[in-house]
Amino acid sequence: MAKRTRFENRIELVQGTLDMLILRTLQWGPQHGHGIGVAIRASSDDALQIDHGSLYPALHRLEKEGWLDADWKLSENRQRAKYYRLTAAGKKQLAAEQSRWNRIVEVIGRIMKPA
Amino acid sequence: MPITLKRMWKRLQLRVWRRTADDRDLADEIQFHLAEEERLRIEAGRSVADARHSARRDFGNVARVTEITRSVRGLASLETFVQDLRFAVRLLLRNRVFALFGIVSLALGIGATSAIFSLFDAIVLREIPVREPARLVTLSFAMSANRRNNYMPYPHFAQMRDTNQTLEGLFAWTRTPRISLGFQSGFGGREEIVSSVRASGDYYPTLGLKPALGRLLTRDDDHTGSTAAVISHGYWQRRFGGSPSVIGAGISLNQVPYTIVGVEPRGFVGVNVGVSSDITIPLRAGDRSGAGSKIWDDAFATWIEIMGRLRPGVSLEQAAEDLKLIYGQVNASAARAAPTDTFAARVGREAHLFVEPGAWGGLSGLRAGYERWLQLLLMMLAAVVVLASLNVATLLLSRSEARKDEIATRLAIGAGRSRIVRQLMTESLLIAGISGVLGLLFAWWASHFLLRVALVSSDTLPIDLTPDMRAIAFTTLVSATTSVLFGLLPALRATAGARHSAGRELSGPRRRVLERTLVATQTALSLVLLVFAALFVRSLQNLWMQDPGYDRTNVVVFSVDAGLAGKRGPDASRTYLSLLGALRAIPGATAVSVSAVAPVSTSYYFISSLTKAGTTEFPNDRRLTIAFNSTSPGYFDTLRIPFVAGRDFDLRDGVHSPKVAIVSEKLAARFTGNPVGQLIVGSEGVHEVVGVAKDNRYARIKDAPRDVVYLPMFQSPSIGYAPTFEIRYTGAASDILRSVRDVVASVDPALTVFQATTLEARTRESLSRERLLAMLSTYVGGFAVLLACIGLYGLMTYMVVQRTPELGLRMALGSQPAGIRRIVLKDSVVTVLAGAVAGLCASWLLVRFVRTQLYALEPTDPGAFGAATLLLISIASVAAYLPAWRASRINPVIALRRE
Repeated sequence: MAKRTRFENRIELVQGTLDMLILRTLQWGPQHGHGIGVAIRASSDDALQIDHGSLYPALHRLEKEGWLDADWKLSENRQRAKYYRLTAAGKKQLAAEQSRWNRIVEVIGRIMKPA
Repeated sequence: MPITLKRMWKRLQLRVWRRTADDRDLADEIQFHLAEEERLRIEAGRSVADARHSARRDFGNVARVTEITRSVRGLASLETFVQDLRFAVRLLLRNRVFALFGIVSLALGIGATSAIFSLFDAIVLREIPVREPARLVTLSFAMSANRRNNYMPYPHFAQMRDTNQTLEGLFAWTRTPRISLGFQSGFGGREEIVSSVRASGDYYPTLGLKPALGRLLTRDDDHTGSTAAVISHGYWQRRFGGSPSVIGAGISLNQVPYTIVGVEPRGFVGVNVGVSSDITIPLRAGDRSGAGSKIWDDAFATWIEIMGRLRPGVSLEQAAEDLKLIYGQVNASAARAAPTDTFAARVGREAHLFVEPGAWGGLSGLRAGYERWLQLLLMMLAAVVVLASLNVATLLLSRSEARKDEIATRLAIGAGRSRIVRQLMTESLLIAGISGVLGLLFAWWASHFLLRVALVSSDTLPIDLTPDMRAIAFTTLVSATTSVLFGLLPALRATAGARHSAGRELSGPRRRVLERTLVATQTALSLVLLVFAALFVRSLQNLWMQDPGYDRTNVVVFSVDAGLAGKRGPDASRTYLSLLGALRAIPGATAVSVSAVAPVSTSYYFISSLTKAGTTEFPNDRRLTIAFNSTSPGYFDTLRIPFVAGRDFDLRDGVHSPKVAIVSEKLAARFTGNPVGQLIVGSEGVHEVVGVAKDNRYARIKDAPRDVVYLPMFQSPSIGYAPTFEIRYTGAASDILRSVRDVVASVDPALTVFQATTLEARTRESLSRERLLAMLSTYVGGFAVLLACIGLYGLMTYMVVQRTPELGLRMALGSQPAGIRRIVLKDSVVTVLAGAVAGLCASWLLVRFVRTQLYALEPTDPGAFGAATLLLISIASVAAYLPAWRASRINPVIALRRE
């Protein structure tokens, strides 16, 4: 039972939060998948190691949901890359996820407060 | 999901034929990522080989990521559908009981509904198979607010046919249900009785039919001397085996010679739905057979049915105006020709012509009688289908709970919600598909069975029941709707809850409001159906139990037509008389009589009118309408109808004696004083009343007793109808019937006995529609209750399983088994009560729509409501009690250990 809970928690955290992180990153302009991963790692000062394998399913899902739009462009190195950018709906979703995250942090924080 | 149209279009473009391009893009994307990662590591100082390997390793399994991402995209290609289907089949095989139950109950519901629908389609909806049936019109007339009459006089028809300006053609026909057909050469066999139609010259041309063989009748054939006859396709197959040598064959109809000149096309079974005619002869030629009457010039004798075809570009309204004008003119000139006849004047004033669409043929007793009945049954069955769907939905909901973890995991990996919903819907589609196919098979069998039971009297089914496009489309629609009904809800529910697990609240004891509402709805629906069933059963009982005024037990009835044996008028009369005497000698026959109209009759119903009953007068324009019958001496004795006053007919009342009559009690009340000895005056002449018989139901047991005049059968010199003999007997009916055939043959070998059966059986036949309705609604109601209670049982069992830890805890803390039972029962009681109350309210509102189908019964009959509710409660109690009992037997130790 205990083992399963750990597994569940990691997946849940990554899925729900990863979406939010991706959307946040793209607030600063379009970027390709690799660039997004690098940016997240950089903004967290290397604390957060994103599993690259889960990045692409997330990106494609977000695109399917309509929160991201994608185009094929040439990268800085003249390579063909798929650039993602935030849509209007994506901006709204980011705001919603952000407020939900803040609520969760507050609730957990209250429970964990030293008595 | 905020999807714009543009996105949807882009998605559509990304369908199967662009799939490979998409895959290539994904591969490129991942390759780009790896290349970048490699570049970064090289820049950070690692070797090329090391950079490449570490980049790949840190990325993870490329193939797996590709696969997962691909599944996230959720392309609805055929491959994924097949995958879903295979998965669904495996799932069904694993839950065999559930699958079997769900599929069978759904199949029965769909099948029964489709069966009724194909009957409805064949009888009510389907147009007759002629050229452009939408351009056909039927004619009828009515006097003021009275009932419509489809039979009209000849002069009106002739005038309309000759002077109209809006019709392409107008034809008339009349049906002769029984005519004796003999073969002059070649085909052998003895004479047989067939049904025939006499049609005017434009019958076939206006309908636009082409013969299957030979030629069809035309205007040139419509004269008295014509010997041309056309047989139906069905009769051609049945009797002649489809042989082409039938053309030119010589036959005789009631001993009058004809020649077969053609065969009707396949699929055409006449212009009246439900009545097939084997042979068609020209209208005028029919005079020779004596089966009709010579009333060509009588403007008030109604005997032909009329239909026509609109000219191209002419509307129904224009034709109606045109024809109404002509109709009015004929009536006016008839009134002028008989200025003293106030009845003719009344007709001129009050008769109105109706011109209506005729795509479905002329008057159809079958359609008129069964249309409402079929609609009713269709609605009831629709309720059952909904019920069965709800049942499957409830069970699917419970099952989807068990698959919660599986679905959550899939959602977590990144599968889209719509993908999972699609997969769950595939399961429902599979169930609905299998049920639909099974249902169609069941429907095919059931509709034939129903039709045969409904049309007991005919040997051949004049209705074409092969499912046409409409019926198949209907079944498919029903299956699809049910699969959406029961599939979508659980699918959405299952994926909704597991989505944002971060936001999940602490779960307490689940109230399961949705499932309980479903079960309550099922309970309500089944109660409504039970109430209807109870009403129909009681109505049928009322019909059967009521006193018809005579004793229908131990009586055998049969009919004979001397005309078919070539005996007409006085010969016929003599034949019947000698038959009467011969029948008296049958061992076991205690009383014998003969009458024109049988106690229960579908062939004859004679109406006339009186102007005087004793001293009570009925002015010419307000005559008293009466029904009349011609009976032999002994009729009332045979049927045990008591006399209130006076005597029965006897041999004194012969052809040359004073004309006498017997009246019914109801009619007697219109006289002043004792009617015996007084006179009645009417269309049939002047008669002296010699007896008053107790009221009884004339020809139909559903009608209330009316004013009836009985005339002595053998006082009239000739008899033109086919009378019915009644024999009261002791012993076995089959013995009597056998003796009857022997006796009839001994009197005249050319005579045929038909419709020979017991009076009770005949009465039952006349109630076949009510019996069918009672029987079917009982099955439907019973089935509905079964479904509802199984749903209840399933739900309660599931809830007990869910609450096992909690209940175990209670028991460990000292709760008694009875207490546990009470807790579980409380849930079911609330659900069942809610459903029952809703059901009672719905029933109360809906029953008023079937008022016309009920006999001597209020739609809100408390007995029916009470019986239905009681039945439901008792079965539901059993269904609810079992899980409760099981709950009280939980072993607390095991229950707690599970937690």
